[in-house]
This record gives sequence, C-alpha cells and structure tokens, in this order.
Amino acid sequence: MSEHYSSFDRGGPRWLLQRLTAVFLIGVLAFHFFLLHFVNHAADITFMGTQARMSQVGYFATMVMFLITATFHGVNGVYNALVNQGLSGTRKTAVGAVLTLASIALIAQGIRVAIAMTNLL
Amino acid sequence: MSEAYDRGAVEDFGRWQEFRAGMWAWIFHKFTGWVLVGYLFTHIAVLSTATGGAELYTGTLQGLEELLIVRLLEVGLLAVAVFHILNGVRLLFVDLGLGLENQDKSFYASLVVTAAITVASVPTFLAGV
Repeated sequence: MSEHYSSFDRGGPRWLLQRLTAVFLIGVLAFHFFLLHFVNHAADITFMGTQARMSQVGYFATMVMFLITATFHGVNGVYNALVNQGLSGTRKTAVGAVLTLASIALIAQGIRVAIAMTNLL
Repeated sequence: MSEAYDRGAVEDFGRWQEFRAGMWAWIFHKFTGWVLVGYLFTHIAVLSTATGGAELYTGTLQGLEELLIVRLLEVGLLAVAVFHILNGVRLLFVDLGLGLENQDKSFYASLVVTAAITVASVPTFLAGV
C-alpha cells in the first residue's frame, strides 16, 4: 500500500475548498506568469500598460478572483499545515483569527490597488 | 485508497535519510506553498505603489527590474510556482484515486519538468539586466 501524505483531513470543507481553488489557480497562475514575464516582459511594465489590461472588465474580474482564491488557498494551506503540526486550543483560535484578518486586509488592499490600476475612477 | 501513516514529526529532520519520494513531495509542496503565500503579500505591497500615481508605480517596478538579485529571485519564484502547480496536479489526481501506485514517478517527473522549464526561462528572465 502506498503512503499518502497530506496536511489536510480528507473530505472536510477546508480540504474540498483547497482542491477547488487549486483547479482555478493552476490555470490562472500559469496565465499570469506567462502574460507578465513572457508576453510582456516584467522589465517593460508601465502604469499605462497595466491600466490598459486592468480596464478590461474580464481581465479585472479574473485578477480579483485570482487575488481572492490565491489568498484563501495560501492562508488555508498555512492554517492546515500548522494544525497538522499540532496547533490546538486557544493558539489555534488565535492563529485562525490572525490569518483571517490578514486575508481580509490583503484582499481589501488588493481590490483597492486593482481599482487604482483602472481608468474607472 | 490511502491509509493513515505515522510519518513522525517533520521537525525531526535528522530522519531525512529515511524519507521517500512521497515525503519529499510533501515537504517541497509545503515549502513552495510558504514561499508563494509570502510572495503574495509582498507582491500586493509592491503593486500598492499604483495608488501613489503612475510615475511611482512605473519607477518602482522598473527600478526593481534593474537589479540582478530581483531577476534571480524571479527565476526562483518561477521554479517554486511551477513545482507547486505540477505537484498540485499530481495531488489532485491522487485525491481522485488515480496514480497513487506511481506517485513516486510523478513526483520525479514534476521535478524534471520544473527544472526544464526553469532552465529554459533563464534567458527571458535575465534579458536586459
């Protein structure tokens, strides 16, 4: 029997959401890297170019969904790794609260930045 | 199907010689995950210069791109992201019950493809620095 290693309890909601966000992120992360390093070279990025991309509704929506799913996937991964390594009780609650607040702050700031990159305001 | 397995504490890294492919995949996935989530926060912080105006944003990004260390870190980031994606696909298949018997081979394949993509990308990442 092969050994199966995971930091997650299989079948739980955190496990399922981690898999669902992973499927989305596989495509979008690859697209993001390819577009901003190979199609457009990172050294050539300007505010005008960024604004042209972010002012397209489909691209803007994709990037905001990318931000939200990546934040959830990353923070959920960190939380599960810590729980898997024995985090429990009050510490678990405190770490969960801090990670939740950090996620909300990151998403809020990310959306604020995304809007600033458009010509909508 | 998988079964519960007592892998012991990862912190007890003195056991590394006992680690097999699945254990290394788990450690690498965890390490690359920590790097990627850390980078996500840094990335948004740098992009936040967009709220300070076009000149600040363009100047910050182009100034960073002039630094060799930033270009090298970007190559490292690509390697980390590609491995996390490929091993993530491997994990999704294992969770669907596919390929568990060959999970060691798919881990090695993830490493080889990551290395190939990373090496092939070096000229693009270092161009013009």
